[in-house]
Formats: sequence, C-alpha cells, structure tokens
Amino acid sequence: MTAQLAHPTRDTATDFVRLDRVTKIFAPEVPLTRRIAGLFGAEIDLRILRAVDAVDLTIARGEALGLVGESGCGKSTLGRVLAGIHRADEGTVEIDGAAVADRDGRKLTTRVQTVFQDPFASLDPRMRIGETIAEGPIAHGLVRRREAAATVADWLRRVGLDPAFAKSFPHQFSGGQRQRVAIARALAMKPDVIVCDEPVASLDVSIQAQIVNLFLKLRRDLGLTLLFISHDLGVVRHLCDRVAIMYLGRIVEVGPAAAIWRNPRHPYTRALLDSVPKLRLAGAPTPVIPISGELPSPLSPPKGCHFHPRCPIAVERCRTVRPPLVRTVDGRDVACHLADAPTPAPL
Amino acid sequence: MRDTPTGRFLAEFAENRVAAFAAVVVVAILLLAIFAPLFAPQDPYDLASLTLRDARRPPGWVGSTGIHHLLGTDSQGRDLLSAILYGLRISLEMGLAAGALAFVIGALLGTGAAYAGGRIEALVMRIVDLQLSFPAILLAFVLAALLGQGRGPLITALVAAQYAYFARTAHGAAASERQKDYVEAALSVPLAAPRVVLRHILPNCLPPLIVVATVQIAAAVSLEATLSFLGVGLPPTEPSLGMLISNGFQYLLSGRYWISIYPGVALIILIVAINLVGDQLRDQLNPRLKR
Amino acid sequence: MNPPVLSVRGLTTRFHNRAGAVTVVDGVSFDLARGEVIGLVGESGSGKSMTGFSLIGLIDAPGRIEAGSSVKLEGRELIGLPDRDLRHLRGRRISMVFQDPMMTLNPVLTIGEQMRLVLAAHGRIDRASARARSAEVLGRVGIPDPTARLDAYPHQFSGGMRQRVAIAIAILNRPAVIVADEPTTALDVSIQAQILAEMRRLVAEDGTAMIWISHDLATVSSIADRLCVMYAGRIVEHGPATEVLGAPRHPYTRGLLDSLPSQSEPGADLRQIPGATPSLAALPPGCPFEPRCGRADPVCTTRPEDVEAPPRGWRCHHPLGETAA
Repeated sequence: MTAQLAHPTRDTATDFVRLDRVTKIFAPEVPLTRRIAGLFGAEIDLRILRAVDAVDLTIARGEALGLVGESGCGKSTLGRVLAGIHRADEGTVEIDGAAVADRDGRKLTTRVQTVFQDPFASLDPRMRIGETIAEGPIAHGLVRRREAAATVADWLRRVGLDPAFAKSFPHQFSGGQRQRVAIARALAMKPDVIVCDEPVASLDVSIQAQIVNLFLKLRRDLGLTLLFISHDLGVVRHLCDRVAIMYLGRIVEVGPAAAIWRNPRHPYTRALLDSVPKLRLAGAPTPVIPISGELPSPLSPPKGCHFHPRCPIAVERCRTVRPPLVRTVDGRDVACHLADAPTPAPL
Repeated sequence: MRDTPTGRFLAEFAENRVAAFAAVVVVAILLLAIFAPLFAPQDPYDLASLTLRDARRPPGWVGSTGIHHLLGTDSQGRDLLSAILYGLRISLEMGLAAGALAFVIGALLGTGAAYAGGRIEALVMRIVDLQLSFPAILLAFVLAALLGQGRGPLITALVAAQYAYFARTAHGAAASERQKDYVEAALSVPLAAPRVVLRHILPNCLPPLIVVATVQIAAAVSLEATLSFLGVGLPPTEPSLGMLISNGFQYLLSGRYWISIYPGVALIILIVAINLVGDQLRDQLNPRLKR
Repeated sequence: MNPPVLSVRGLTTRFHNRAGAVTVVDGVSFDLARGEVIGLVGESGSGKSMTGFSLIGLIDAPGRIEAGSSVKLEGRELIGLPDRDLRHLRGRRISMVFQDPMMTLNPVLTIGEQMRLVLAAHGRIDRASARARSAEVLGRVGIPDPTARLDAYPHQFSGGMRQRVAIAIAILNRPAVIVADEPTTALDVSIQAQILAEMRRLVAEDGTAMIWISHDLATVSSIADRLCVMYAGRIVEHGPATEVLGAPRHPYTRGLLDSLPSQSEPGADLRQIPGATPSLAALPPGCPFEPRCGRADPVCTTRPEDVEAPPRGWRCHHPLGETAA
C-alpha cells in the first residue's frame, strides 16, 4: 500500500476526502464485427458519455455529504469513483492524503466502503451472513479467523440484529434486515468513509425510517464520514450536513443543507426543491410549477451551462460558456453565471 | 428439514416421485459398483477361476465350481452378473472421473473467462465454441486411438471431449453473475479476483453446472462404452460394460442373447436413471420455472 | 348526491396454493364519485396494487376474487362478468396506468398504431380521424409535436414521455375511471411534478374519477381528495385526505406519517414503527398491526370492525383522539 504524505498546507479536517477534477468517461466498446460493418457504411455510435465531468469535492472528517440529482446525473458513478470501484479517467481521489486507487484503477485502501441500493442483490445468496460480514476483515487481516465469530456478533448487535442470525442465509431476511447486514459488512472493515448509494430507496417508508435512524446512530457512535447518494431530498435533508447537487455530470451547487433549503442559489436546485411534493395536512394542494422540459440525454448534453435549455433565467452567456463552481458570498459553491445576482437575503 | 438452501432443495426434489426413485436407483447402482466384490459370486478378473467348460451357458446355469450363474456366462466362462457388477464399477469410475475433471477444468475456464473479459474471454470461448462444433465422439475416438489403451488415455479423451460443455455453461452463468451487486460489493472491499471468482461467482454458477454434470456423466459412461465397444477404450483385461456388450455381440444372432443384452440393460438403467435425476435438477434449478 | 361511478363492496381476493389460501385483499369497500381522486396508500404487501388489479379483473390463477365481492362500475356489476365483456369495458370505461409504461405499450408498434387500435376496439373509426384524435390526446398530456411523434416507437421516448403516452392511451376513450398504480414512482422528481400537475388538470377537465395507488404519502396528498390507508390487505383508515393526514385516527397512519423525515427536525431520530410488515400467510388473529402498535392491549387480539363515521372510517379498538374508556 503506497501511503502518500499529506500535503503540508492542506487542512486535513475539512479536506479529509478530496476529489480533484475527477472525470469519468464511458466509451462504447465497439466489437470487431461492428467495426467491419462500419467499413461497409453501417453507423457506429461512438458518442462518449461523460458521466462525471471535472468534479471537485471535499468532505470533512465526520461529515455527512448528501449527493442528489436525477437519474443519469452521474451521482452513482461519482460515488463509485470515490469508493474505488470505478477508475477515474482524469483527476485524483484521496482520503486523508492517500490515493484511493492506483493509476490502473486497482483499489489501494479499505478505508472507504460501500453500501448498495438493493439489499436483495448486494448479498451473496449462497453465503451465510456471518461469512459475508467476516470475509473482508479476515482477508485483510483485520481479525483473526477464530475471533471472527465474536466480531460478527458484535457488528450484528450494533446494526440492531440478533447475533444468532450469523448462521442464516440472506433469503431468510426482510429488505430492512438485509440492508442492516450490508451496513454491518461495510462497517466490519473499519472504514473511515462510507459511500451509501441510495441505501433506503428500495425500502418501505416505515423501514426506511429505521435505517435512517441506524445511520444517525452509527454517525454518533463511530464518527463516520458519509457520502450519501440519494434522489430522496427529504432523507438527504434529514441526514446530511452538507449537500451537493449534480446535473448531467457536473456539480451545480454545494453548501450546508439548511442554507440550501432556505435559499437555493442555482436555478436547478430551486426547481428541484420545488418539484418535491409536500405532504398536505390541510387545505387545497399547493400548485407546483414544474421545471419545463425533459432531462437532456447525457450522451449529448447542451453546450455551455448544461441546464440552460430548461432554465427560466438563462442569458446568452449560459448557452456558450460553462459556469465554473465558485464560492459565493455566503460560503456556498455555485456553478451559475447569475448566482451573484441579487437574491433574498440569507439568514 | 433445516432451513438452508440445500435443505429446501432436497425437500423439493423429493416431491417428484419418479426423480426420487431414479435417485435411489443411481445410489443403489453406485453402492453395487463400489461393493462389487461383496455382491459378485465370482472374481471375473481371476482368470484361474474360469473354466471354458462353463462358457456361454444360459442364465440360471449352475457351473462346475458350484456357482449359480444367475445371468449366464460369457465366452470365457465368466459369470455375467459378476462381470456386469465389475463392469459397472469401471464404467462409473471412468464416467465420474472424466465428468469431475471436465467439471473442474470447464468451470474454472468458463468463470475465469467471464471474469477476465476482453481478449482472454474471447480467445477461450472461441476455442470452446470451435470444439463444440465437432461431435464429441469423433474427438474422443481420435484422441483415444492416438493415446493408446488404458485408463489415463481414456479419461483424457473423455475430458477433452466434454470440458467444453461445462466451460460454455459456466461462462454463461458467470457472465450474468458478474453483473450482480454482490460481486461488485465483494470487489469493492477490495477482495482479490481469484477469491471473488472462487468464493462468490462459482458457487452461484453451480446450479446449471450440476445439471450439465448429470447429463455429462451419463454421456461419459455411454461414450466410454462406445469407445470400448469399438476397441479403443480399455484393455480386454478390464472389461467395462461397453466391452462386455462388444464381446457378446458376435453371439447375439446365435441365440446366446444374454452375453450382450444384460450388460446393455444395466447400461440403459444407469443412464436413464442419471438423466431422470438430471431432468428434475434442471426443472428445479431453472429460475424461469420457479413458482 | 350523484350515484358513485365506482362502488366497491367487500372486495376479497385470495391466492390459493398447496399451503392454503392467502388473503391479499380483505373486504375492501369504498365509493368513488365522478371527478373524485381516491388515494390508496400502503407499504409493500399491503394489498394496494392487488386491489387495483382486482378492480379491473386482472387477477390470474391461483388468485381468485371471492364470492360476495362486488365492484359496480356505473351501476354495472363487474364481478362474474365474462372475460369478453370485461375486456370490452377495460380501456373504454375503466383504464389503467402502471408504474412501468411498457406494461401497456407494445414495443413493436408505433404509438399512432397502438392508439388507433385502442380507438378502433371501441367503435368504428377511420384512420384520419383516429390520427387526429390521437394527436390531440398526446398534445393534452404534454408531448411536444404530437402529430410527428405518432410515428415513433415506444423505445424512442424517454421514461417520462413513455409514461405520458401510457396516460394518453388510458384517457383516449374518455373512461369513467382510471386506476393509476404507482405511475410516477419510477420517474425523477422533476418529471413526477410535471405528470402530477397534468393528471390533476386532466381529471378536472374531463370529470374522470381516479384511483391513485402509491406508497408515497406526499405524492398522494398532492393529488387525492380522499385517502384509503391499507395494511395487510385491509383498509385501516379512510376519509378526506387532509383529515386522514392532519388528524389520523389509526396508529398505523400516525406511524407512517411520523416516520417521514419531513415530520422531524433534521438530524433528530425519526419516530420509527418497530418491527416489519407481517407476512400475509401468517397474520395475527386480531388487528394485523397489533404486534407493532404501541397502543395495543388484549382486546386487539380480536378483529376490529370498520368504524364507519361517514365520511370517515377506521378499524381500530383504540383510535387516536379518543381517551381510553
């Protein structure tokens, strides 16, 4: 494992997790037969997908950062790059000053672990859950084989499951219980950072609350650093200190959750927050003015600011120039040419 | 029944009476073959105990040494029942050894190729495809003829003819398992690739492989019988079922049917029983037929 | 008051297998007035989707709608109707929209052709007027350039647009009732907001009644006039949406509401319902919510009856908002 020295001037408290100009490209693999067909004039789709487009992001130690956006915005891909599952095509990903993966994409560290969306798919159906939890720690020498049972029991207890379940198979559990097992598996690696990819999206409302509470408790007990990817703005608002909003591979706004909800600066953030249906406890439904238009294909995103075709306040510059992510007066990062236009007073 | 995947599987299997009966037959034949020396009235390999006086006697004949030849004797005066039991032993030995070896080689090649992807996958699978386009019997026959008689060469020929079926099946299953979240979860720990292939992908590819294994063991037994019948299998000193059939073949039309027919019946019962078990396994392990 | 367009009484659907019968819809009753939107909410296994399928007669063996169930559409009894007559009514007087629009769309036919077939199935119509009518309806559901899009295939539409096409097909014959099963669940929030707004406008313009099935209380509350909360195959509480959500009487409804993040301070523990939804094959004998309920006492092991206090109702021995006797 190559441990790089932390940059001397870096503030390791706020830059605990650091993504620098991270780009992830998916290029279609053109099979030989297709290429031959191309020689005879068949159309070959060579458009590349910039799933993540030069993203800068930092997470402080112990912080929960929410990553939200609609399908195809690249939030899951960004999470997988941080988790060392996907190789970044450009840019660097570091945790506490050490690279997550080498240049060939091999993961170098166990300090970041992942919890996946679908607990019915993310657990090996033929493995007892005790083995599932113990496998990683044993393989990496974190626990010795004969201590594994005690470790497993301990983690099962901490995620709210009966330690006797260690001998059971995944099919004997409900979705919520399986997600607890998946969380225990991630935690057993003693990570500093956990990437959660839509961990409550496939769960029922009442079970979702149980898992959200488990994350809250684990954050308090273990001081975990979280990247919490979700399309559910309510859950993100509840669980996260800061929020990053993605649109077509780029981050359009980052800032403290409370501030963003109070006063979204990017027009997309504002539209997204407005789109969320509100629970109506009295009176007539509040009319929602939805964002007009469709999400453009990520294969051919609009030039300039990706959001300009749907943006109500777009000007000529938005059509041609990509707006950089800049710090605004209230300590928030916004990628909008018009972000510093007068907005309702903060606080 | 304990609530493990295996336990539930066995309970479901037992629900099909025919398959359960076939499984019992397979087990019984296995036991008969393994303990052949205990059941056989005579040691057919002990040439000293054979007398030509007892050759080609019909079923029920009581021989000069006092042995009751239930199924008659062959052209050397061998007790046919003993010969069949010992023959079964050799046939099953060859079938199981070849099947197991082909299983291991094919499963590793198939899952490995599916995991590796890219050029390695393409190369391995095209070789497998090429080989599948030839009839297995042709390949086995040529190899057996080239390598000469004996157990080693015969098993080599059988494995070479059969591993491709396992490789193709394993590749198909592994390619779909490879995409699943639990594999990504294991890789993201990170766990080493061989570990992920052997501990996660391979066990989840077992259901279709087990189905192929039953069919291929039956096929190996009959392939071995065919090769021995054609004279390129085992030496005459170790007569398998195929050779017994072959030995009696010339007497078939002279009324001494038993020398060929009884070994043939034994072979058919064995192969049909294995295939019935295989059918039930296939139905049970096919996700599309799941309720 | 006008007679209801849809009147459901004691609707019970069971799945029969070797192990016995599993009741997935258990005595569901409600009335739907013209132009009204009823929300059917519940978690997975609550029977909300099965209720929808039962209403339109899409229950296949081993499932069976039990004797004694009654579904009257515009006064006509649907239970026991021959398949032919039922098919005739589906798409004409009652139609459905599913979570996955590809359940109604045929991948190998153009949208225009599919819409023409739907129109032709319910009355003679020539090609030109079928095209005109189809384009008009596509325009109404918010599909840009509708006439040109008639010649496109389903795969050429995005997920949100595909759902709009499915909705267009559902309203093509101006049905009396639309059953919408989680129609926006698979869509992004911005698209969901668009479709919610359009569905609200459409049913208001046409006076179509709608049953909106969803697990998402916020979505349902933004479109439904009345709510039925389902648990373990039964309606446990029903009434006007704002009353059910604003002053719930059943502890389960209260629990569902409380478990929403929007009902707690950010960062505070959510008030979760303990335990998991029960297996329908092994329901407790009394109130199905009893094992998870904080208010349960020995009475709750007997089956609670529906307390009908028109237009409100609940099934609970110890409803909220009443002091214990």
